[in-house]
Order: sequence, then structure tokens, then C-alpha cells
Amino acid sequence: MRHPKDMNRRQFLTRAGGAALAVPSLGAILAACSKPGETVSGSESPSDIPIATLENPVTLPMNRDPIAADTPPESGPLVLYNWADYIWKKKVNEFAEEWGVDVEITTFNNMEEGIQKVSNGQVEADVFVPTTNYLRRLVKDDLVQPLQKELVPNISSVWPSYSDPGPYYDVGWRYTVPYTIYTWGVAYRRDRVSDDEAASQGWDALWNNENAEAISLYDSYGDTIAVAILRNGSLEVNTGDEALITAAKDAILQTINENKARLTINGVYAKLPAGDFTVAESWSGDIVGAQWYLPKDVEWDVLGYWRPPNGQTMIGNDTLAIPTAAKNPRLAHEFINFFLDEEVGYDNFRYWNGYQPPFSSIDPERLIDDGVVPPNLPMAVVTEDMFKEDLTPYELVPEVDLLWQQAWTEIKAGA
Amino acid sequence: MQSGVWYPRWYWPSFTITGIVWLTVLFVLPAYVVLSVAFGAVDFEHFGQPVPYYAPWWWSFSTFNETLTQFYQGSAIYQAPLIRTFVYVSSASVICLVLGYAVAYFTARCTSKNKGLILVLLVAPLWISYLMRIYAWQGLLDAGGPLNVVLDPFGFGDTDFLSGLHITVILGLVYGYIPFMILPLYASLDRIQESLLEAGRDLGANGRQTFWRVTFPLSRPAILTGIVIVTLPMFGDYYTNDLLGSSKTSMFGNLISAQREFTGGSTRMASLVLILSVIVMVPMMYYLRETRRAAERGA
Repeated sequence: MRHPKDMNRRQFLTRAGGAALAVPSLGAILAACSKPGETVSGSESPSDIPIATLENPVTLPMNRDPIAADTPPESGPLVLYNWADYIWKKKVNEFAEEWGVDVEITTFNNMEEGIQKVSNGQVEADVFVPTTNYLRRLVKDDLVQPLQKELVPNISSVWPSYSDPGPYYDVGWRYTVPYTIYTWGVAYRRDRVSDDEAASQGWDALWNNENAEAISLYDSYGDTIAVAILRNGSLEVNTGDEALITAAKDAILQTINENKARLTINGVYAKLPAGDFTVAESWSGDIVGAQWYLPKDVEWDVLGYWRPPNGQTMIGNDTLAIPTAAKNPRLAHEFINFFLDEEVGYDNFRYWNGYQPPFSSIDPERLIDDGVVPPNLPMAVVTEDMFKEDLTPYELVPEVDLLWQQAWTEIKAGA
Repeated sequence: MQSGVWYPRWYWPSFTITGIVWLTVLFVLPAYVVLSVAFGAVDFEHFGQPVPYYAPWWWSFSTFNETLTQFYQGSAIYQAPLIRTFVYVSSASVICLVLGYAVAYFTARCTSKNKGLILVLLVAPLWISYLMRIYAWQGLLDAGGPLNVVLDPFGFGDTDFLSGLHITVILGLVYGYIPFMILPLYASLDRIQESLLEAGRDLGANGRQTFWRVTFPLSRPAILTGIVIVTLPMFGDYYTNDLLGSSKTSMFGNLISAQREFTGGSTRMASLVLILSVIVMVPMMYYLRETRRAAERGA
């Protein structure tokens, strides 16, 4: 009857549209969804586990029993979910050889991404490297499993604060072992800024117009806003005070606008050694690792690192944990134990990573004598006392986090 | 015209099924999910994951409204990137058009055997990943790099092109999208019949007049297509600025991508995506209207 030539384009499209509606309607699918619960709206947090702080250490509840100590080793492959370039492959290969399994390393770009993929099962990791401020929520959602301590005898390598009683965020180290420990400070080129100048300027070096066009700040809101708070003279690095946050934001915008400071993530190890930056906000592990990135004709003593005096330094650490969904939990325990081995952990640090494990056997003098930390970077060494006394970034409650996020969005929008 | 062959009513519409499935699965459903996330809630006890509200009667507009007001109220923190995006995209599109037209015209009118070679060369850069090419630009633009050396006599020897200059980001956009302008222009210019141009000349028009009165009007639909093809993705572009600019040259896309780092940022992110979609719909509507008019004129 009807031939397309009788049909103009509009009619044709109308019909096509009709056909589209005939596809099972969205409404039917939607009706099947239950109404979202009340608890999820807004930022009210019915938290049964409190946020951990140095003053209020938290013993995390045991969601389940750890695996049996005599669980036979699985056949792998072991999946490690980690930051990029954060473990020495040679040591990973040694582990793989020792246990006769393959080890796959999958990486995430930021903690948000890592957490999302672990929680929605997109990455089925055996070993995960969460920061301490996410641990409470990981346990709450039963996303990580308790450790079988009998399988981690090498915990004896770490500082007593981390093993007995265990760190404030995981008393009794039920779910985690520490992987690395680091401070926040200012990395600088000693051929342009003397040690004395760096010490007298402190954080202000990142605001100094003499360093204009050669200043780097981390492109990471938690880090840089906290540093700006310290620079402004407060020690409240977890503040919810709007005035402090606004002042920090203004300070960051000021050095961006007046001194052309840049927001980077690899500024310390990729750009400072090449001389593109004179001063940079820096994690201590980044500046120690930067020695491997120096151009051939540049001596390693051009690198310097300043951090505030004890009591005013900001210190943080990363952990190793085993997700609940791990397919190779026994191997995961062995992997964790392997990297807590004094030699393995030390080599991982000294030859590759630059991030220090909190081992009792590592003392500052040994690090410098062994040439691990260049003599020009004495302040990059982290000691156990600092972990007990210094400032630590904690998990921020949602309302406060939102203030930080807004401040950062304004910075990123280039106001 | 009746062929005498009988088709059931559903016969011709059924040909659209593949298209409809494609559109539904890859466009309508995802767009609806974005909508539901933007108008949903955030679960702060579970890593700030979005809680999409799929049913319209549950929609909550608080985050969306908050996001929207950030464009014009208070410190209006989203305004600067929005204005920047418009300026960058329009400048880059105009430059793409001028340069692209010249190249396409030359290629289409080039009668030698090298035509194929020119086309291959135009497409060749696309064989290398965009990321790699922009890294190459980083090397060229770096402080004290080749560009500084070349431009030194003109007083640009000390300019740090990567310190967040508008011109650098516009250059990056032009570089990244110009092939997509050249190809439709070439296809159109190449199809213009020689006889039409000859007719123009016969009727006494000189070269310039022939161009403006024959070639250019005939290539108008292609110009429009080219502009739409380069403009739409430019509006959402963020990596060009990530790699060549700084926070001082942030575009709309950077605003969206910055939310990724935040716990609970997905609702805001979805709201921004919606706002951007509405903005790019304006040129898209204009394009659809124009092409329909052109089709009617042609018919």
C-alpha cells in the first residue's frame, strides 16, 4: 500500500518516533526500582564507627573472621591495586617467583577512583593501598577483611606504634599494615635557594615573588589547602572553620595570580630536578625519589627539603589491606608479609620508591650513611616520634569536606 | 509511482530499529542516568556515591539549583570558566574555519596527482594519539624551547607559553580539531562542478566574484557542518587545557573533571553536564534548522 515515496521525511520521522516509544517504556523499568532510602539523603551520617584521630584512636569492629592460618596458597594471579609507580617491580617479581604465581599490578589515579572501583567490584583486588582517611568507611561497608596475624610475622619490623598497640586509625592493626610514611614540606633547588633561606622562609617560599613562575603546588585539594592553612599560621589542618578555609583559598589564589604558581602532580620529581621549578610543595617521598630523575649533568646535592619543626609537621601514611572480595587472600597475606620484610621493604624504598617504610631498623643516620637519603635532605627522614606528636590529616565530615571542595573548585576555576 | 508491491504498515518504520536501539542504549538511557544522578542524592556514608533517583516524582533539585546559582550569584565561581569557554571555542572555530577553508580549497582545486597524497597527509596526524601529539607540543612550547628560539627576534624569547596563556589553549584547540573542519569542507568543495564555475566566468564574473557568488554559497552547508563538528566537542574539551594551560585558563570541561576528585562530587558533576548539554544544544538546534531549510530549498 504505502510506499516510502508517498511518505515525506517528517512523517517518516514521526513513525520512527512511534517505534521508539514501543520499546518497553522506561517507566516500567523504573517502577521496579524501590524508593531510595531516607538515610542516604543529605549529609547526616549515622556512623557507628567514629572518625579516628590521634586523641581518639579507633578499634575497628571485626566484620568477619580472618582466613584460617593454614589456608593453602592459591594459584593466583595476585592482583595488586596501587598508585602508579609506587612499588618496585623487581621486588614484586621476586615475590612472584618465590610463590610461583603471576602478579598483576592495576593502578588508580586518585583515591576516589580506587575506592569506587573496589566498592563496585570493577577491580577485584587481592591487595589494596588505601589512605588512612578512607579506612573507616571501607570497614563499615565490609570491603576489607581482617588480617590473619599469624600470616604476618614480619609486622615485627615496624615501629611499635604501628604494631602494638597499633596506629590510631586501626588499633591492634586488625585490617591494615603500614606501607609508607611521609611528611609535607617544601622541596627546593639549593643552587637557587640556600638552606638558610629555605629554613627562614619556610612555607612562605611558596609565596615568595623571587621564585615567581617557578613555584609548584600539588593539584590535590586536601594537600594544598592544608599547606595553605599551615602557611597562614594555623595548625588546624582538619579545620571546618570557614574563615580559615577562605583565607587558605585566598592565599593559594594569590600565589597563583601574583607568582604564577602552578598546580601539578609530578612537579617535585619530574620538573624540579630539571630546573623548571625552584620551590615546590612536596611529600618527603617525592623529593627522595627525585634523585632518580636528575638530568645527567646535575649533581644530586641541588635538591633540598624543608619541613616545619617537630610538632608542626604534617605527617601521613599509606597502608596495605586485603579487600573482602580478594580471590587470593592467603597469597595476599604473604605479599603483605613479604613487603614488611626488612630487606625487601628497605630495598623497595631505597632503590626505587623514595617513600620510607616505618621500620624500626631504619634510623635517620643509617639512611644518610647508606646514601639512601642524600645528606642534603636530612629533613626528609621520618621518625617514630613525629608520628606520635605531629599533625595528621583525618577524614573530614561531609559538611566540612564540602567547604574544602568549594574552595578548591574556585581555585581550579581560575578566579 | 505505485509499484504494485504491498508492504505492511510496519515495514518501512522497521528499518529504523537498529538506529533506535543504538540511540536508546547509548544515548537516551545514559542521558537519563545523568539526569537521575543530577537530581538524586549522595550517600556520604558510602564514599559519597551517587544515589540516582530514577523516578521523576522523587527528583530533588537542590544540588542542581546550587550548581546553577554558582554561575551568577555570590562569587559566581563557575562564571569565569564559562565565559572563557565561549571565547576559546569561538576563536578556535573561526581560526579552524579560515585555515581549514584555505587548505580544503587548495586541495579540492589542486588538479595534480598529488591530491591523494595531500589528503593522506591531512589525516596522518590522526594516526598518532592526541595525547602524544599534545606532549610533543609541550616540548615545543616549553620555556626555552624551540618556539621561544624561533620567536626570539619578535620579542617572545622569554614567553612561557605553558604558564596558562589564552593563546596557547586556543592554539591547542585549533590543532586538535582542524582536521575535522577540513574534511567536510573538502568533500563539499570537491563536489562543486567545474561547469558551474565556468558558467560564472562566462557570465563575466572575475575570480573573486565567482568565489563569493558561486563557490562560497555552495559550500555553506559544509561550513555549518564543519563548525558544528568542531564546536560541540570543544565545548566539553578539558584535556587540552589540562596539558597546555593552567587553572587560569580553565574551561567548562575542567570544572566537570575537577569534581572527580571529590567525595560526593558526582551529583554536581552530573548537574554541570546537564547545563553544558543545554548550552551546546543551541548551536545544534540552529544547525538542524538550517539544514532543514537547505533541504527544503533544494527540494
